Formats: sequence, structure tokens, C-alpha cells
Amino acid sequence: MTSHHIANEIHHVVREKKPFSLVDDLLMSRWFLYSMSVILFLGIWYYVVYIDVFGRGLCYPHEVITEIIRLTSRKLAGKELWEHAWDSSRRVFIGFGIACVLGIPLGFFMGISKYFNAVFNPIFNLIKPMPPISWVSLSILWLGIGEEPKIFIIAIGAFVPLVLNAYNGIRLIDEELYDVVRMAGGSHMKEIWEVSFPAAVPAIFAGLQIALSGAWSCVLAAELVSSRSGLGFVIVQGMNTGKAAMVIAGMLLIALIAYVCSFCISYLERKICPWRRDLSTH
Amino acid sequence: MSHYQHVKVHRQRALVVLPIVSLSLFFLSWELVVDFGLVPQTLLAPPSAVVKMFFAKLTSTAPDGLLLQEHAWISIKEAFLGYFLALLVGIPLGLAMGWFRLAEGLARPIFEFIRPIPPIAWIPLTIYWFGIGLTGKVFIIWIGGIVPCVINAYAGVRMTNPVFLQMARLYGATSWQMFRTVCIPSALPMVFGALQIALAWCWMNLVGAELLAANGGLGFLIQSGRKLGRPDLVVLGMVTVALTGVIIGLAIDRIEKKLLAGMRR
Amino acid sequence: MHNIKIACENVSKTFLQKGDTRVDVLKDVSITVRDNEFVVILGPGQCGKTTLLRMIAGFEKPTTGRVLMDGQPVGGPGRDKGFVFQSYMLFAWRTVRGNVEVGLRMRGVPKAERRVISQQYIDMVGLTGFENHYPHQLSGGMKQRVGIARAYCNDPQIMLLDEPFGQLDAQTRLYMEKETERIWLQEKRTVIFVTNNIDEALTLGDRIYTMKDKLPGTLCNCYEVDLPRPRESTDKEFLRLRKQIIEESELVL
Repeated sequence: MTSHHIANEIHHVVREKKPFSLVDDLLMSRWFLYSMSVILFLGIWYYVVYIDVFGRGLCYPHEVITEIIRLTSRKLAGKELWEHAWDSSRRVFIGFGIACVLGIPLGFFMGISKYFNAVFNPIFNLIKPMPPISWVSLSILWLGIGEEPKIFIIAIGAFVPLVLNAYNGIRLIDEELYDVVRMAGGSHMKEIWEVSFPAAVPAIFAGLQIALSGAWSCVLAAELVSSRSGLGFVIVQGMNTGKAAMVIAGMLLIALIAYVCSFCISYLERKICPWRRDLSTH
Repeated sequence: MSHYQHVKVHRQRALVVLPIVSLSLFFLSWELVVDFGLVPQTLLAPPSAVVKMFFAKLTSTAPDGLLLQEHAWISIKEAFLGYFLALLVGIPLGLAMGWFRLAEGLARPIFEFIRPIPPIAWIPLTIYWFGIGLTGKVFIIWIGGIVPCVINAYAGVRMTNPVFLQMARLYGATSWQMFRTVCIPSALPMVFGALQIALAWCWMNLVGAELLAANGGLGFLIQSGRKLGRPDLVVLGMVTVALTGVIIGLAIDRIEKKLLAGMRR
Repeated sequence: MHNIKIACENVSKTFLQKGDTRVDVLKDVSITVRDNEFVVILGPGQCGKTTLLRMIAGFEKPTTGRVLMDGQPVGGPGRDKGFVFQSYMLFAWRTVRGNVEVGLRMRGVPKAERRVISQQYIDMVGLTGFENHYPHQLSGGMKQRVGIARAYCNDPQIMLLDEPFGQLDAQTRLYMEKETERIWLQEKRTVIFVTNNIDEALTLGDRIYTMKDKLPGTLCNCYEVDLPRPRESTDKEFLRLRKQIIEESELVL
């Protein structure tokens, strides 16, 4: 008898001892608990609104849904809801794109060249500890209140994790992998192309995920401070007109879009790094 | 000493000199760009003005009403309150979610629902709920800081070596005993990893919270610098935020090393 | 008599660790390897045997002494030498075929030709059917087969194997030793094989160099193993040699 069989038998005996197995199974079933959780959450939410803890600062959950429906059918500051969502997304995409174009190569070169690293790492270390949101004020001073300052903040916020991850991705490569290429008679360029680049891709993807969630925080901060469009603007409008439902609707939409974006990146990673397929599903 | 080693020493010297050169060039060009009027003084303050402002703000409350160290103290107080509350709630929650099905089933949907909302997005609601005082900011920092705590503690428990659990089961440990004596200790490295991540998050969200709703703190200093059109104040605020963040980070790193060293013994 | 393919003459190696700490890793090592000979360097962990191999490969330069190949000092690493790494060092982002073809890609061999050559070596190491698997889908023994095929694919004059089966379980290890012998008999090369396992050394080597077990590493003895292949580990002569080596090198096994 293998250990596998023994383990199964013990398991079986323990199971049989339980008296109220059906009730227990129901209580322990994941989906039952998940639905309980949602019901409980909504219940507390309803109750808190009912006993009026926050006054006009909170509304019933169903009001958020009706608010979203209402918002889709009317214009806010001359733009429809999806246009606001698109405005925010566009800013994120542009800023994020700029950060990728600048940050990933910078981190990459810092990783593969000691001298390049010696020149740029100190300056990068000056920028690194500054929370990207603290650039909001400076960017408004420099670039006014148009699109540019928002894109600038997003780019700065996404820049740091991208550089950091590309850099560490290269640095953590096992030196002996380069020996493989050297042994095969490859040049230094071949080492970079064959080893550095592919080996850093997973780390770069992790950086993309962090950078993206940072970018959404930044666009929101920028839009809350000054904006005439975007989901941040929707939230501000809701706040100024005293409509908690509108505020929460804005929050939900942002969360939804951010979630979809992050899902797209993990999908892309699975497509580009098939050798990590088994790792990411675990 | 062989030729080979000489080359190595030479290289090392270049690696020491280059950072100094690059940093001095950076500061010099920053200074000169403003001094020669390539960038107007109203947009960017030269490093010298920032340093001057730094010493002035240590003793003078002008123009925003508080000393620099008072701003810093307000920020640190808020950040730490939020941070510790996040640790206090997030780590036990994450640990429990990792081990107990009931906890996971009840907490996970809510957690997954709240997680993708950027903490900054809570600011308008917290202004409604708590005004612009301390509580609102602590809440935002808390909600931002709790996410990495829960994720890391959860992953830490989930990554427990199953052999240890089987061993504990063989010795007749109850579920609670296994959780306490096997899962929690083996999750600790991940939990400590969360301390730094959560701190960085807290610090960032703090600045966001103070920019939008505050009457004191480093984020408020930056914001009032912008409103007054004083780039030296803005840059000073940013530098102080960064420096304070680095110092706190180092301190936590030190504590973490001490605690972990004690545990290994 | 065969030509001398590789000769290390009084090779010493000193590493500089952080600042000025000098670590003497090898001292006064001289070995010779003849053409198409299977030489095993046997020594316990931390005795500098890997460093010796890396110097023959050209990754490191000796501090004093010379490493000669065909009478010429060894240049940098190149495709005239094949190296099999202890920890496999496969490219996780390439399939088995992609890993085996690394050297061919470096040389710019056209794709169709690459396929033919790599297939030949994949078949040789017995991985037919696994061409499109990624390394993480393979077992340890299969990974090292890829490592061996990759080294052979460059058509090197000498093969350097650095404890290639150190991470395998005993049974797989025995099997891989037989495979190594088979491949070597099939594709004769000059082989230098580093190991800490005495049975492995006796099964494979034409000659065995033993090393002392402390730094700086020095040579201990050299044994001719004149047994017919394939060898049996229960053979009388085999056991006698085994006992002799153990007694003379005080190897802790």
C-alpha cells in the first residue's frame, strides 16, 4: 500500500466522524460563503445608510446603480460618461506609454552597463523616493491645467517602478547564463539579446502591473486637483453637488477600468512568456 | 600585482568617480538653468534657493503658517497612525484568510471589490464622512496600506510548506494549533516584506490626501507653495517628503533585520 | 601515442574578494589530457576543481602558470570548447530545441540546417519528442541531457563537464553516467569531467586526477583506469581501485 492510499483512508475516517456533514459542507462551500459575504456587505451598507451615520455622505447601493444609468444618458460638462472614462484612460495610456518608452530602456541599460548605471543611478535615486503625487503641484506650475501636467504626473509615477523592475530584472540574472553564450562563441551583443532581454521580461511585466496601478492613482489625483473632464472630474462634480451616489459611481468605474487594464497586461504576459505559463496559474 | 588586477582597480575608480560627476552635473545644471534665466524663477527654484528656504522654514512660519518640522510631524503622525492600523487589521486578516475557509469566504469578495479602487478615490467620500481633519487622512492611508498587508500575509500562509502541515497533523495538532505554530511563523518573511511595501504606499497616499484635503502637513506645504506661486516651497516640500520617506524606510529596515535576526536564533 | 590536447602547467589562481582579501583557490596544478581521452577530476566540494575547469574553458585567467590547448594558450571561451553546467543553465524562455540551437544561432546557421543538426543531437541524448517542451516541464535528468546536447551541438574539440549530475538522484545519476559513456563512445571527444563521486569517476574515466580537500586546491594523485567498458561497479579490479583511491586521498564519502 502506498502512502497515497494511507492518506486517503485517514481522510475518509475523519470525514465520517462528522455528524452534520451536510450543513458543514454548505457552510464551508466557497460560493456559499462568497455570496454570504456580498449579502452581509450590502446589508451593513444599507443599515449604515438607514441609520444615517454619514448623512449625505453615503447613499444606498441601488442608488449607485441608478446613478450610473442616469449618468450614461446625460451629459456632464458637455461630455457623456464614456467620454469622461475615455479621457481618463487616454491620459493613462499616453503617460504610461511615455514612461514605458523612457523607463524600460533606462532600467535596462542601467542593468547591463556598470558605467551607465554609475551615471544615472544616483539621479534616479533622487527621484525614486518622491511620491509621484507630490509632482502634481510642480507639474501644474510648469504646464498649467491642460492635458500635459496630468500626462506628466502619470509618466513620472509609472516611470519609477518600470525603471526599478527592468534594472533588477537584469541584475538578478544568473551570471552563468552569460557563460553559456560566451561558450557558444557569442559576442557581448549576443549575450544581451539572447539572455538579458528575455530573462528580464517577467520582471518588466511585474513592473508594468505596479506602474499601471500607480498610473491610475496619479491620474485620479491630478483630476481631483484640477480638471474639466475625466472620471476624477465626475467624482469632484458629485462631491460639489453633494451627490454621494455620483462619487461612488466614479470610484466604481475607475476600479473597473483599472481592473480590466491589469487583466489585459497579465493576459499579454501569458502570451509573451509562455515558459511562465505554469508559474502564473499556481 | 598582475596587469589584470590593475585594470580592475582602475575600473573601480571610474565607478566611484562617475556618480559624483553625474550628481554634480545634475545639480549644477539645475542651478545654472534657473540662474541664467533659461527657466523663469516662477517655475523652478534653484537648489540654492531650496536650501535657503529649508533653513528659513525651520524658524519661520511664513508664508503658510507652520514651521517645516511641524508640517513633517503632522505628516508622520498621520502616516504612522494609518500604517499601524493597516498592519493591525491587514496582517491578522490576511493570515486568517490564508488558513480559515470561513474567513477567506467572507472577506475575499469585499477585499477584491475594494482593492482596485485607488485609495485617492476615497478622498471625496472621507471629506464627507470625517471632514478634513486627521481621521479622514488616516482612513485613506489605512485603506491603501491594508492591501499589501493582506496580500502578503495571505500568500505567506498559502506558501507554507505542506510537509510541515502534514507533520503537524501527524502529531495530532488541531487546526488552530497548526495555524499558530506552523502557518504564522512560516508566513513571517512575507509579512515583513509587506511592511516596506505598505509604508511606501502609505507615504504616497498621505501626500495625495494632504494635497486635496488638509490644513497642515508636507502635502499641504507643497500645495500651498503652488497656490502662492512659490516653486522653492514646492520643491522643498517634495524633497522633505522624499527624505522623510527614506529615513522611515531605513528605520523599518533596521527594525526588521533586528527582529528577524532574533527569530533565527 | 596520442597527442597532448590540453596541458595545465603549474597553474595557480588567486581571487580578490571585496577589497584586499586574497583567496588562494588553486596552487601549482599541472595536468595533461590526451586527445580523445576521458579525464575525471575527482575532489570534494570547495577544492577549486570548478575553478580549474573554468580556466580551461577560458572564463578565468590563471594568476600564474599557463593553460595550453594544442600547445597554444587558451583564449577566451569559444565554440571549440563545450561546457556542461552543474545547475543546467538552460534558457527558461526557449524550448528544448531553442536551447540546443543556441550555438548554431550565434553562428548564423540558417534555420533549416539548424533544425537538422539540433535534431541529430536531440536524438542522440534521447529527447526525441520533447523538442517543443520548455525546461520547466522537464525532469532534472532531461534538463542535463539538453545541456549535453547543447554543448555537442557546437561541435567542440573538448567537452568540459562541471559536476553535471550533482543535482540528480542516485538512480538517474547512474543512468546518466551510462548515457554519457554511450554518447562519448559514439562521438569521441576529449572530455574533462569534474565530480565529487568516486563511482562516477571510476565508471567514466580513462584517467582520474584526485584533489586535496582544502584551499588552495592542489593535485593529489593520478590513476590510470585500464578497465574494459562498460564497467561494472562490482568488478574486482574496480573495487580494488576504489579502495586504493579512498585510502590514498582520504576522501570522505
